[in-house]
Amino acid sequence: MRPVLIVDDSLTIRMDLADALAGAGIETRQCANLADARRLLASELPAMLILDVMLPDGDGVDFLRELRGDERTGPLPVLMLSAESEVQDRIRGLRHGADEYVGKPYQSDYVLARVFALLRPAGTGEDKPVTVLLIDDSRTFREELARLLGEAGFRTLQAASGEEGLRRAADLRPDAIIVDGVMPGINGPTFIRRLRLDPGLSSMPCLMLTASEDAAGEVAALDAGADSYARKDEGGEAVLARLRAMVRAAGDSRKNSTDASLLGPKRVLAVDDSLTYLEELSEHLRGDGYEVVKAHSGEEAIELLSVQNVDCVLDLMRPGLSGTETCRRIKGSPTMRTVPLIMLTALEGPDAMVEGINAGADDYVSKSSDFEVLRARLRAQLRRKQFEDETRRVREEFMQKDAEVRAAKRRAEERAELVEQLKQKHAELEVLNKELQSFAYTVSHDLRQPLRSMDGFSKVLLDQYGTQVDDRGRHLLGRIRAGAQRMGALIDGLLVLSRVTRAELRMREFDLAALARRVYQRLTDGEPQRKAELVAPARLMTYGDDRLVETVLENLLGNAWKFSGQNALTRLELGVEDTEPQAYFISDNGVGFKMDYADKLFGPFQRLHSETEFPGTGIGLATVQRIIHRHGGRIWAYAEPGKGARFTFTLAPGGAK
Amino acid sequence: MILLVEDSADDEELVKLALQQAGFANQVRVARDGEQALDALAELPAGVRLVVLDLKLPKLNGFELLRQIRANPATAQLPVVVFTSSDAPEDIRRAYEAGANAYVCKPVEFDHYAEVVRQIGSFWINLNRKP
Repeated sequence: MRPVLIVDDSLTIRMDLADALAGAGIETRQCANLADARRLLASELPAMLILDVMLPDGDGVDFLRELRGDERTGPLPVLMLSAESEVQDRIRGLRHGADEYVGKPYQSDYVLARVFALLRPAGTGEDKPVTVLLIDDSRTFREELARLLGEAGFRTLQAASGEEGLRRAADLRPDAIIVDGVMPGINGPTFIRRLRLDPGLSSMPCLMLTASEDAAGEVAALDAGADSYARKDEGGEAVLARLRAMVRAAGDSRKNSTDASLLGPKRVLAVDDSLTYLEELSEHLRGDGYEVVKAHSGEEAIELLSVQNVDCVLDLMRPGLSGTETCRRIKGSPTMRTVPLIMLTALEGPDAMVEGINAGADDYVSKSSDFEVLRARLRAQLRRKQFEDETRRVREEFMQKDAEVRAAKRRAEERAELVEQLKQKHAELEVLNKELQSFAYTVSHDLRQPLRSMDGFSKVLLDQYGTQVDDRGRHLLGRIRAGAQRMGALIDGLLVLSRVTRAELRMREFDLAALARRVYQRLTDGEPQRKAELVAPARLMTYGDDRLVETVLENLLGNAWKFSGQNALTRLELGVEDTEPQAYFISDNGVGFKMDYADKLFGPFQRLHSETEFPGTGIGLATVQRIIHRHGGRIWAYAEPGKGARFTFTLAPGGAK
Repeated sequence: MILLVEDSADDEELVKLALQQAGFANQVRVARDGEQALDALAELPAGVRLVVLDLKLPKLNGFELLRQIRANPATAQLPVVVFTSSDAPEDIRRAYEAGANAYVCKPVEFDHYAEVVRQIGSFWINLNRKP
């Protein structure tokens, strides 16, 4: 990862921040003035800047403006760190593009947490190292494990006790936690239970370590809500492996939520015109991890709220002055009114309280009270805010779920309606199909009758009156008969074609070679004098509708037989190609055809040879293709004029030509 | 005697020519529709030994005629060959259900036609050889 650039004239601050960042595995570059910073930026682009406002050679906010104006440095996240107690400086910094603003004196963990938050969006993706928080009371063990994890590419943070662990987990939001089961004070199971109770931290993957060798330790760990478990005596590699698996499983939850956490760093806006009281307040609260932004007037407070979110507002009201007015304005604004507002007053008695509550304050504390009281009230308000946020989030999630469920239901209904429509269309189609089929039969029935008369009576004429007409007359009668017979064959072919389109497939396993031999037998029976052979495997098992495949073979072998009639020896072959799915071919040594017309082969009534050369209807291959397609298969042809043809087909989906 | 139930004069002629070729001439009685067929059967209950039946007939169609033949004890045992242009599976199924003994489709080509008729004729001859 690229280093973080710290620009601050105080060596102490530079050292302190560099140490804190180094502890989290983040490298730093340090500059004491703007000139150095400019020089460094010219040669190296950092991951982000921590920038002081008051510098010996200029103003940090002006420098920020300079950075934002430059294309290269413009997108860099900038955290401004300033000793300025003036809220106006804070507002000016944020207005000019600071991504974060922290007042001095600061807490290192608070700054670290803000740095993590700023680096997170830019560092999303695989290059961001996984940060692991190690909690163990043994320093040696922590150091050893940290070294091992460091070598494996993890970034480590350490805590020596459960209490410190909880605080650092909330502040620094590590990607995973390794916690020792046995520790003085808050032990491992208690730590995990506490972690799981905090909505902001509950999803943090957590691995518990224990020394015990029996199963009890594991049960205790899992009972407490640990995601994983390892025994110390298994060694570092085992811990590493479990950690990797756990982080991998956690997956998305690595985008650690930035939801409010009870334990996390909080920013409190305090409004008062008395600087001393503000300082005192800020001193007390900082110890609890709060950052206190000090505004000197209601106007300033509202201006600040428009540029920076805070977790709570403390309004210090003095009699008759702007306190209640500020309160009213904050509570009257839709964007600010969810921020808890505690009113502090020097006045005692119920009247002031009523006035404050009426103005919209969430709570009311007397200035004279102990800081402990204020702290407790503050925590209570933060908790309330957090629960409200949580409730709102849950409600939003619920409403979204509800909307999703409703949308899903609507989709299901639409789908059901579509299915119903489809069913209806299907039924209509079924009826139409049946009608078409019976129409085909009726038409063919009626067409055949006159054809029979034409053929039959021509035949009678030839047989009984042949002597009374001359050769040409007899020839013409022969032509009439041929025409009638051809039309009969066409009708038969069309009927078969329409039948295979509709017929239900009856799939079973059968022997394609045996079927081919049967079809071949019928061919040779028709022309017993012809010299011919069929080459086929002894057995060729395949899966399909054998009645329809018989029609395929009748056509393919019939064509092969027809187109090789001029050879001295007719040689037909049924073969198989070892592809997936298996491809079968029928080849012959006949006249073949030019591949130019191969794409026209399978269209109905397409013929490549003239009727006088080779009789045929042109429906056979269309029927063959229809049957193959109904099986989900494909058919293609290869031929050369004078060298025969080869038709290859599959009976199952898939495969490439 | 063969009872040929056939509404087409052409087919009647063709059947007769085919039977003639096969040597079974002059033993055919023709009915043009179902009603005529029933009349003929009532008139000559013992004379008719074979019915050759077209399905598409005016008035009473082939299926109905076939059912009536089977329903009448006098003709219930009479051999009936359906001889028709249709090769629709539905027609074949219904014809057998109605009680046909055989279903033969009329070929377009006369040579085939004549052969089929010859075979029907010899079936009839064989029937008549029985006592």
